[in-house]
Amino acid sequence: MDPDFDKLLPALVHGGVEFILVGGVAAVVHGAARVTYDVDLVYARSPANCERMVDALRPFAPYLRDAPPGLPFAWEPRRLRHGLNFTLTTAAGDVDLLGEIIGGGTYEQLLPHTSEIEAFAVRFRCVTLPKLIDLKRAAGRPKDFEALAELEALRDEQQS
Amino acid sequence: MPPPLEPDPIVTAFRQHVDRSLLRENLKLTPAQRLAKLQSALAFMAELRQAGKNARSALPPRI
Repeated sequence: MDPDFDKLLPALVHGGVEFILVGGVAAVVHGAARVTYDVDLVYARSPANCERMVDALRPFAPYLRDAPPGLPFAWEPRRLRHGLNFTLTTAAGDVDLLGEIIGGGTYEQLLPHTSEIEAFAVRFRCVTLPKLIDLKRAAGRPKDFEALAELEALRDEQQS
Repeated sequence: MPPPLEPDPIVTAFRQHVDRSLLRENLKLTPAQRLAKLQSALAFMAELRQAGKNARSALPPRI
């Protein structure tokens, strides 16, 4: 299922969910040309926000990505609160919900390193380019090397 | 957290091969336009994936 950003992001915003866009889609927001398939979101772990997240995603029928069908997976606030990071497939595309992110910490810790973005008639927080570079560096995954090179090139372009 | 390697030799090597013309074109767009462009690219690829799948299923079975 390919992402429907125009459905997913407004649903979260209208649902009052506190989240920060990170990962490859955040890179695209900053101008990256690499195609990415999943939406990575750092979300606030407060019970109220977990409830809002569950409510907002419910219409998209979230399910554990790469899990066999038919598991007794109940999408409810308790599940979100008892877990931390979730890789989900939804009717609006693949979504990774991150309670914490390496190099960035929690939603509250990452919040000072975000800016507000307007798209699809809603406004939401997106991690800044310098912090996104930090996150990619901290992840230290070989698959990120090319993405990191592109982000650094973007930073150069924006500074020139 | 380990201190970041700056400059990382691998990333520096990759940087030489980044197509900056694509980045410069993207920087002319708004963030919303960049997201719309990504979504459009994904729809295009999904269409091609389906076309490939259809073509494969239309092939005669291998003996």
